[in-house]
Amino acid sequence: MNAVTVSDLTKYYGDHLALDHISFAVGEGELFAFLGENGAGKSTAIHILSTILKKSGGQVKIFDMELGKQDDGIRAALGIVFQKSVLDDKLTVKDNLYTRAAYYGLSRKQADDRLEPFMKSFELSEIWNCRYGKLSGGQRRRVDIVRALLHDPRLLFLDEPTTGLDPKSRRLVWDYIHRLRREKKMTIFLTTHYMEETRDADRVVILDKGKIIAEGTPGELKSRYASSRLLWYAEKSEERENLLSPYEHTYDSDHYTVKFQDAITEFLYENRRQITDYEILKGSMDDVFLNLTGRELENQ
Amino acid sequence: MRNFWGLTKRNLLVFFEDKQAVVFSLLTSIIVLALYLLFLKGTFVDAINEVLDSASGLRELISQEDVGAYVNLLLFAGILGSAMVTVPFHCLTTLVKDREKGVDLDICATPVRRWQTALAYFAAAAFSAVLMTGLILTAGLCLLAFQGRLYLEASAIAAAYGVVVLGSISATALFLIVVLFFRTSSACGAFFGILSAAAGFVIGAYIPISQFSEGVQTACNVFPASHVTILLRNILLGGVLDRMDQAAGGLDNGRFTASLKETFSFKAHLFSCDLDVTEMLCYVLVFALACIVVTIFLYPKTCERK
Repeated sequence: MNAVTVSDLTKYYGDHLALDHISFAVGEGELFAFLGENGAGKSTAIHILSTILKKSGGQVKIFDMELGKQDDGIRAALGIVFQKSVLDDKLTVKDNLYTRAAYYGLSRKQADDRLEPFMKSFELSEIWNCRYGKLSGGQRRRVDIVRALLHDPRLLFLDEPTTGLDPKSRRLVWDYIHRLRREKKMTIFLTTHYMEETRDADRVVILDKGKIIAEGTPGELKSRYASSRLLWYAEKSEERENLLSPYEHTYDSDHYTVKFQDAITEFLYENRRQITDYEILKGSMDDVFLNLTGRELENQ
Repeated sequence: MRNFWGLTKRNLLVFFEDKQAVVFSLLTSIIVLALYLLFLKGTFVDAINEVLDSASGLRELISQEDVGAYVNLLLFAGILGSAMVTVPFHCLTTLVKDREKGVDLDICATPVRRWQTALAYFAAAAFSAVLMTGLILTAGLCLLAFQGRLYLEASAIAAAYGVVVLGSISATALFLIVVLFFRTSSACGAFFGILSAAAGFVIGAYIPISQFSEGVQTACNVFPASHVTILLRNILLGGVLDRMDQAAGGLDNGRFTASLKETFSFKAHLFSCDLDVTEMLCYVLVFALACIVVTIFLYPKTCERK
């Protein structure tokens, strides 16, 4: 069973088409990534899937529950970490989490049982009685993730969960996400504009101006839309220029950069006597996005 | 129901954790008290004494303590009436802040139904108003009892608490509709400033409503808050008016206390009709119920994002 099945989903804001007939599916237990620039339609899609926003057209099913008809069941099955913090600054972490647990009908005792495993793994004990508004960005994100997991959801939406965080906090958040996948086998639906965050995804959908422009595993996308690069450390010479002439290449200070779509191993083998100092750079998701849209992603 | 109570508790915590907001929610009551201490008490006492002087013999029969108690209780009703306006409104600004900050998105994505969300905001604001106004009423009654001027029977005290509950509910029901139309907390704050200034006049805390033209009286009495304040006047001042009547010993056939009741609006004047206590109670109840029904239908429409 798919966790999410979306067919022909459309969303208009007045005359503006925010989502243009998009279709995709997310398998249960997958880490699925929606990649795109700000304004590409990622948050709009998440808000529709989580019953917050009304769709203009198309069909959506979450665990076989139809959006618009079985919204209560859908709401109980999903958790969301929003792009911006939505907990109360003036309340303590404890009060924020207990009140949110009650939204799902959990008693204090049930909430305690659910929170117990998070106290250590998410280091909640030390900030338990602190006001949410006084926490650092990374600490807030930890609490946001715990809040989204309180009712043991089957599907977790993460809407740009690391935006605005320092590198250390970003790494911590990703450690938590990976742990969730490992320990809970939870389906995770991620939106991001950070290329490297899609690296570990099972599948990536690239969204541009409301349209899906590519879909596949990170490896497939790189193979299809990005070229690997050979960095050959050697002095510039006519002989080397001739050797590289069939390939797109440049020379910078002490090395050639040569682009390869494929056959890089064969080339290296054939020229192993000449090419002794080199490194191979795999095509990145950055290259994928650049090749697909002609633009680089913001905030890279 | 646990999700409803959870959201109600959260709304209460958000309101009461902001100590400054709690103090400023009593802004009009503080203004009424300040004006009273500065000049209103003197003005009212002088006006009543003038009436007493004009009626032969009454000045000697009705004590200045009773006149003072009458004016004090008049102020007390005004403070309670204004608290029942400003406290629920201030608590309901949580709804506007939640929409501004996106907290409502979080609520919308949970199994809490839209109507439960609206009722949770309502319940929290009404409870805050009952609690704050109830505390003021208790403190005032204790002070009067300490001074030995609590001329109220137990049934009247119970009725005063009942009116506090009714007044808090009716004001909350009305303001819940009002706040649904605010998009930003700054706009809501600006409205609160206007409301704080206007509330004292609408409920007749600064100037008795009877001093206004018929149209203005009707405009003031459309709002349940003015009915509630009038009900409180009837309950809280009933005892001291009885004492004055007894002191006069039938000399003026109750004309003095009747004129006080007329001047200080013990009945609500609405569209050429004078509503008595029972009619005012019915008006406030129907008004509150109608507002609650409107909100339950209106709230889901205003939180739908198209």
